[in-house]
Amino acid sequence: MEFNVLIGGEAGQGAFSVELELTEILTRLNYYFFATKNYMSRVRGGHNFHMIRIADHPVHALRGGQWDMVIALDAEAESRHKQNIRDKGIYLAPASAREIEKEARDRFRDVRAANNILVGIVLSVIGVSRQILAEAAKPENLEHLTAGLEFAQRWNLAETCPVSPKAVCPCKLDGNQAIALGAIIGGCQFMAGYPMTPATSIMHYFATAAQRMPVHFEQAEDEISAINMALGASYAGIRSMTATSGGGFALMQEGVSLSGMTETPIVIAVSQRPGPATGLPTRTEQGDLNFVLQAGHGEFPRIIFAPGSIDETIMLAAKSFELADRYQIPVFLLTDQYLADSVQLTDEKIPAAAQSREHLIFDNTYRRYRLTADGISPLTCPGLSDALVKVDSDEHDEEGKITEDLTLRTRMVEKRRGKGERLLIDAVPPALYGYKDAGTVIICWGSNKLIVKEAQEMLAREGIETAVLHFGQVYPLTADMIAPWGLASKKLICVENNAEGQFASLMKRELGLDATHRLLKYNGECFTVEELYQNIKQLLSGRS
Amino acid sequence: MNGRGDMAWCPGCGNFAIRDVLEEVLKELPIPAQNVVFTSGIGQAAKMPHYLHVNYFNGLHGRSLPVAAGIKLARPDLTVIAYSGDGCMYGEGGNHFIHTIRRRLDITILTSNNQVYALTKGQSSPTSDPAVKNALDPQGNQNIPLNPVLLAVTMGAPFVARGFAGDHDHLKELIKEAILFKGTALLDILQPCVSFNKINTYQWYRQRVFKMEKPLTDRCEAMKTADLWGDKIPIGIIYLNKEAESREGKELFRQQATENDIAGLLDMTCVMMR
Ligand SMILES: Cc1ncc(C[n+]2csc(CCOP(=O)(O)OP(=O)(O)O)c2C)c(N)n1
Ligand code: SF4
Ligand SMILES: [Mg+2]
Repeated sequence: MEFNVLIGGEAGQGAFSVELELTEILTRLNYYFFATKNYMSRVRGGHNFHMIRIADHPVHALRGGQWDMVIALDAEAESRHKQNIRDKGIYLAPASAREIEKEARDRFRDVRAANNILVGIVLSVIGVSRQILAEAAKPENLEHLTAGLEFAQRWNLAETCPVSPKAVCPCKLDGNQAIALGAIIGGCQFMAGYPMTPATSIMHYFATAAQRMPVHFEQAEDEISAINMALGASYAGIRSMTATSGGGFALMQEGVSLSGMTETPIVIAVSQRPGPATGLPTRTEQGDLNFVLQAGHGEFPRIIFAPGSIDETIMLAAKSFELADRYQIPVFLLTDQYLADSVQLTDEKIPAAAQSREHLIFDNTYRRYRLTADGISPLTCPGLSDALVKVDSDEHDEEGKITEDLTLRTRMVEKRRGKGERLLIDAVPPALYGYKDAGTVIICWGSNKLIVKEAQEMLAREGIETAVLHFGQVYPLTADMIAPWGLASKKLICVENNAEGQFASLMKRELGLDATHRLLKYNGECFTVEELYQNIKQLLSGRS
Repeated sequence: MNGRGDMAWCPGCGNFAIRDVLEEVLKELPIPAQNVVFTSGIGQAAKMPHYLHVNYFNGLHGRSLPVAAGIKLARPDLTVIAYSGDGCMYGEGGNHFIHTIRRRLDITILTSNNQVYALTKGQSSPTSDPAVKNALDPQGNQNIPLNPVLLAVTMGAPFVARGFAGDHDHLKELIKEAILFKGTALLDILQPCVSFNKINTYQWYRQRVFKMEKPLTDRCEAMKTADLWGDKIPIGIIYLNKEAESREGKELFRQQATENDIAGLLDMTCVMMR
């Protein structure tokens, strides 16, 4: 059983608060759910809507298709979404919302109580009783939620779409929270950034964390400064990161190159939104893969991760810091608005201990860029001994002194390339779901993982056997990573949230694999399960 | 090292004199060399740390200050000195200059101000005098110069000074005071460039500089003095505000988030649209 509800209205009307409160109490009540939002780049007015899928099994994507319930806070929401309610579905019109608001004002002397009354109505629809609610709700919300149950009784909505709570000890996070959490687990103690949707909440989470633990967030004057600050902090011995979106990342590029040349470890989270230029600030796209791949002048190694779930985001964010340190390179976390704004549950055990950088002590013969067999020079920071730490953005000698000795230049290029070879052994292989021997493999990367995975499961229920291969590491790509799956002889369908099929092209270039079919979406919205299921089915039946 | 090895400067360059002063200061400071970090950008001046016995992060053109801020925030125990030329500090890095002052960190900003882009062979810089001619300004510089000292006083920097490469002892005192001052200190150093600035020469400066008797503590008065340029150029500490509080970085090094800290992160809600 599952229950899909949409709540829409103007920015500032409370739909977001309803989402927050509802997901909060659903987590407390052990319901499986998935929530995401579609909002405009404005503070008041416009039209935003929030979509919550509640189920008796794990769900990690929007189902698509019709809604079981629509709550329209204004006429715009009514005109857009009412027609998408399923037969016998529930509709709360703006008039009902006003009635609830009146109750909130008259009975509780607080309009904001209306949000929790609405939450109470939804809870009643899925079968939450007064008793269960009383056990789980925060005391300050209980009265308002209970008023919601009463409304639902009066309007004959109680228990009309019952869903059982089956989650065990769930934990709720959105994608950006997972990045901040993963970073802190990875030992990151410094973030500098300049606000930009959809990356801002990574900074917000980090700044909140900084009030309670030994980490620091600094708001920079621009993105150029942000990445340079993070590099400064990293040089000083602290694991550091910065976060931004495409436009801000454009300004950071020189810093990426600087990290490459000075071999200063850094993690850069790039949360994509549709471009070019300012694009659609609050919508989603996977359009910056090529950009991140090429960013920064000159040649130097890098790693790009593109996690597809909450667990994977935490895991890869933490791992990024370890790898950035080990190889002294920039490591990217390439996500998007869809992942940033989606709230999901995780049952996985989240690691509790933070990692940290090891600080080695050297004597005064220390050379920051000592030439070694694998290109990795010993890393340390200033102030620990009389070993001076000298780093230079110019080509440099082993000591870190500016040089124009071209023989040395060649050796330094080879040293940096050597690290690029070496880091291949740490490559995170793609994950395969579904039928591993199927003739059709659906390829995806980043945030599309769980949408594609569920579409594959729908197909399987109809006897259509496919496999899904999700890349959490999108660069570098190596033959070893895909060796187990015999992809060369299979029909490959690449699913991407962009117009050019950037990952398909990268696969072609790096692995010689041809994805003969590309399913691309670039209107600023994520895929839904239903949509992918239909598209893939059509493709496979040859009617495309 | 005793610096006069392989240095990329022209014979007679004002930077040699500044380097010698810096070397002496660093030896005399009550701070071990291992705790001193220079950051620099790109330019002739920005090569300075290569010729000193210090830690350094010689980054990109214009970015000595953000790197310095990052280091100081991460490691309050380190003495952080940003060193670059006028083009780097006030042109490419002009925005950082303004905002670094706002940040109130205990950082020393030293600029070799030769009023020219020397490394790129003689173009106008933000501090070039009006009407100077060069390859990219064949008609003469059309812009009015930026006065870094006046700008810093206006921004509320608590220690604002100007030095002259041609006055060793005076410069030495200034650099020492700037480094030991707790808070953001700007020391703009008049540095003759013998190759590309044939106007603002040692002699030109010598005829014009006069020493401040004592630092001004009134900001309006300091602005008036800072505004002087041309026939009379003040050197010394122009503005000093000992009361200004600098911002302390947090203790981060070798500290760690605990298991409890991490568990607490799972309860955070972020009530904002991105
Ligand atoms: C991003 C970038 N733009 C331009 C340059 C070229 N460049 C190097 S130094 C310099 C100007 C140097 O002037 P200044 O900072 O005054 O130093 P000086 O050489 O005069 O000591 C320029 C334009 C560069 N290295 N990087
Ligand atoms: S070009 Fe000017 S600033 Fe550069 S080294 Fe020569 S004299 Fe000094
Ligand atoms: Mg200059």
